[in-house]
Amino acid sequence: MKRTILLLVCLGPALAYAQGEELENPGTVLAVQDRTYRMSSELVLGIGVAPLDAFYKGLTGQVAYVYHFSDSFAWQVGRGLLSYNIKTGLRNQLETQFGVSPTAFPQLNWMVGSDVMWTPIYGKTSWLNKSVGHFEVFGLLGASIINERLAADVASGTGATVFRPAIHLGLGARVFTTKSVSFRLDFSNDFVIFKGLESNIILVQLSLALNFGGTE
Amino acid sequence: MRNFRTPSWTAAAVALLLATPVPAQSPAPTPVPAQPSAAAPAAPARPPAGTPPAAAPAAPARPPAGTPPAAAPAAPARPPAGTPPAATAPAPAATGDAAQPAAKVDPKTFEDGLKDYFDGKQEQAARKLYAFIESTPPTDENFAWAQYFLARCFIDLSLRHAGAVYLAKVAHERSNPQVLPKTLEALKVLTLVPHDEILIDEQIFGSLDLGFLPDSVSDYANYQQGLVDLRVGNERWANTHFVKLDEGGVEASRAKFALLVTRLKNAKDVDQQTIDDFLELSKDEKLTMEARNEARLAVARLRYEKKDYEGALKAYDLVQLPALDPGRATLYLEEAWTRYNLGQLRATIGLLTTLDAPSFRDEFLPDKYILRALVYRDLCQYLPAKRAAKELTRRFSDSLESIREREDLTQDPRLRRAAASHGATKRSARYLDSLTVEGELLGRYAGGFGDRLFKHLTKVYDLAHAEAQRIYDQRLHESVRDEADKLLRAAEQVRLMEYEVGLKLYERVKKGAKLAAQEPPLTLTSAQIGFKFDGEYWNDELRSYRVSIPSRCIEEGGL
Repeated sequence: MKRTILLLVCLGPALAYAQGEELENPGTVLAVQDRTYRMSSELVLGIGVAPLDAFYKGLTGQVAYVYHFSDSFAWQVGRGLLSYNIKTGLRNQLETQFGVSPTAFPQLNWMVGSDVMWTPIYGKTSWLNKSVGHFEVFGLLGASIINERLAADVASGTGATVFRPAIHLGLGARVFTTKSVSFRLDFSNDFVIFKGLESNIILVQLSLALNFGGTE
Repeated sequence: MRNFRTPSWTAAAVALLLATPVPAQSPAPTPVPAQPSAAAPAAPARPPAGTPPAAAPAAPARPPAGTPPAAAPAAPARPPAGTPPAATAPAPAATGDAAQPAAKVDPKTFEDGLKDYFDGKQEQAARKLYAFIESTPPTDENFAWAQYFLARCFIDLSLRHAGAVYLAKVAHERSNPQVLPKTLEALKVLTLVPHDEILIDEQIFGSLDLGFLPDSVSDYANYQQGLVDLRVGNERWANTHFVKLDEGGVEASRAKFALLVTRLKNAKDVDQQTIDDFLELSKDEKLTMEARNEARLAVARLRYEKKDYEGALKAYDLVQLPALDPGRATLYLEEAWTRYNLGQLRATIGLLTTLDAPSFRDEFLPDKYILRALVYRDLCQYLPAKRAAKELTRRFSDSLESIREREDLTQDPRLRRAAASHGATKRSARYLDSLTVEGELLGRYAGGFGDRLFKHLTKVYDLAHAEAQRIYDQRLHESVRDEADKLLRAAEQVRLMEYEVGLKLYERVKKGAKLAAQEPPLTLTSAQIGFKFDGEYWNDELRSYRVSIPSRCIEEGGL
């Protein structure tokens, strides 16, 4: 009982203060603006890297098409990525000094996939107090089919390839420059699944996104 | 109690618009750089068109028949009739070298001066050209060219007033018809920046003989002379000038605007035709954005006066601002009054929030506090209403005290700033500022100009500054009284408001009374985005604030 009274005594002034504040400064203010940039049909042309694997580094090129159902929800209908792989020094060392078989180093060859895109954040930022820029942050969730090269020398293009399914998870940001042109920076991870989680393919992509279909 | 003042803008707007010359469309704030032309002065390298080549390469151009030779005995430059003393009068108090008669200079000095000018050595060119002018009779063929290029040197060195003085001399003397068109064009460009309105607008363009003027200037001169007639209330005379304007030119549009404003001033009732005319003018691409916005504001104000608040709101929406431009406080305040009259209380508070932005912190807007108090009162938020009303007397307490004590109101910083923020006072303040800056700049050229020219220009600037200060003080004195009246009226209304709100605060609530139905909450469409305001103002949001504020009014019908 005493505790309850003590609690009430403590909370009383805070509640009174809040009420007084509300009486003196009633209401909340919201700056309501029409969205300057709205996406509709988006063609994405990107370049990037697959930096994670210790035995090769991939230089990637990607093309994708995204259809935006609303300002916050879109479907990346299709994306296709091609990787040009460069052997690292570690792999060279393993192959030449320790005779490790090339088949032990599966490499990303290309991949296709489709995702849903959720854009919960749309914001603006000030550039040197001179101009206002708009951006958005989005997440991607989807599936990929990955083609991996399993054997032989990458440069010669020989060796067997296999297909692997993967779950694609990504996070990206878009900076708008005009109503038709924006730039995307995507970080994504493909969880390659084959008899359990086989490997991860991390991709960093910088893309030019062309928006079609009116943004007024 | 709805008898609080709503702004009667028409009269104020008319006075303001009439007093404000609509800027020309040409955006260039600085005069065009000098270019040698076919009609250039009689220098060997650039013989004037239509003049026979000079007999000797090194000699100045052959003087036209009937004029004394260039090597005629040197005489001090004659002060032109009609030019202000600042520009011409040799100073009686001058001492030292400047008081001595000018030494004779070689006629080649003119050519050297021109060469320096075209080589970009304006300081040296100015010194040589001034020496030439001092020692050459005004009848010399090159005299007017020397004055013209001396003016160009000054303008290039950002000494615009000095440039205007010499251009004005050329325009007054009219000794060389070839120089005149260029001179008038240069003067026209100078009207885009703060300038001596009496010297350029009235004494030059307002009194030019229009018969001989080139097309590029005649429209402007006709417009200026029509404007002078309009200001003295003679529309018929003004029309004789305006009908000569090229229909497709900028001046024709500006003349239409001036005519409409004048008619509005004299009209007892506003007809729809006037509003339509302003609306049409607001679409005229030949006018500057500022002038088009003025026309839109005129439409909005006229519709407001006719109680067509929806129409007024549409006109306010048409006002275009450059990207990230905060706009004008009066625009927001007028729109706020319009929305208040439409019953859009929350949008009104949103616009009043805009007026609290740092961009408008120094604006003199006593109405703002009254309107805020009115909105809160209508929402039965009596404490905020009382606080908003008190805010006016708190914020302007020093100014109100000065008024009550009958102090010199021009010394009150708020009233002074308010008075100098618009109309003729603003223009004279800007001109005074520009003279101050140019006067300081002049010191930098003391070495390059030489003693005689520097002393001469110092005198020119001192006299011009004194005259500009006198005009500014005179205008300030008049306009500061208007601002004080505005403040006093607002303070009176605030007292009424405080009294009314005080009564409401202690009004007994009837038994069984219920809160009135609340306005539905603000919902955003899919195309909209809302940024919660936390006191940080973004210029791109200034017209976008919406306020959610509950009404505390009690429904009628309690026991």
